[in-house]
Amino acid sequence: MLSLRLLQRLNPVLSQHGNTSLRSLTSQVVQQKDDMLVKMENPYKEPQKGCVLCNVRVDFKNIQLLSQFISPHTGRIYGRHITGLCGRKQKEISKAIKKAHAMGFMSVTHKHPQFMKDPNICSIRQMA
Amino acid sequence: MPRYELALILKAMQRPETAATLRRTVETLMERGAVVRHLENLGERVLPYKITKHNERHSRGAYFLVDFYAAPDILPGLLNHLHRDVDVVRPTVLKKDDPVPSSNCCANYGKDLVYI
Repeated sequence: MLSLRLLQRLNPVLSQHGNTSLRSLTSQVVQQKDDMLVKMENPYKEPQKGCVLCNVRVDFKNIQLLSQFISPHTGRIYGRHITGLCGRKQKEISKAIKKAHAMGFMSVTHKHPQFMKDPNICSIRQMA
Repeated sequence: MPRYELALILKAMQRPETAATLRRTVETLMERGAVVRHLENLGERVLPYKITKHNERHSRGAYFLVDFYAAPDILPGLLNHLHRDVDVVRPTVLKKDDPVPSSNCCANYGKDLVYI
């Protein structure tokens, strides 16, 4: 009999649907809106970074720029994993270098000594 | 008419002779109905490699750039003429394309292709 009384007392507290006894006195509708997920763009999104030659026009006449992507010892064009350029720019640079070779603007087998002191863009470690 | 660019490498000569060669070249262009837009001097430099042309080995050259509008059918004849000219070391005609300004940035490339 005592247990029955206890159950009767505990029942409203233990009931799962509509725990109104444990909530605050504010209306139920506002509470539901606060709990729902708000649709917004990711606020921690970093700005997309492009490659080194983003918005730079690649020209066959600009041999100083083109020389930064070739080996100083052999004059070979560096691959994408070394230059770090995106697909489009790597293709443009490659085409421009080959054009410059054919037209007599740039050397094939070496890098012009005037451009040896240029800053290193490619991730390859240059020996002095 | 489409736009072309003539990258001309001339023999390293004295100023009056270079001027005469350029005059001859531009007159040839105009005779064939081309409209010369701009003539740039890129300076006299050491050639990147020794070029043999007209039985002569050249190590220095004068670089010029001629912008012109022309009909496409004159180009073979023009190149033939330039190759025969003794003072010209290497002539190259290229088509000039207008660069696409807005979509040049590769940071925005493929944004619509990525599934998030």
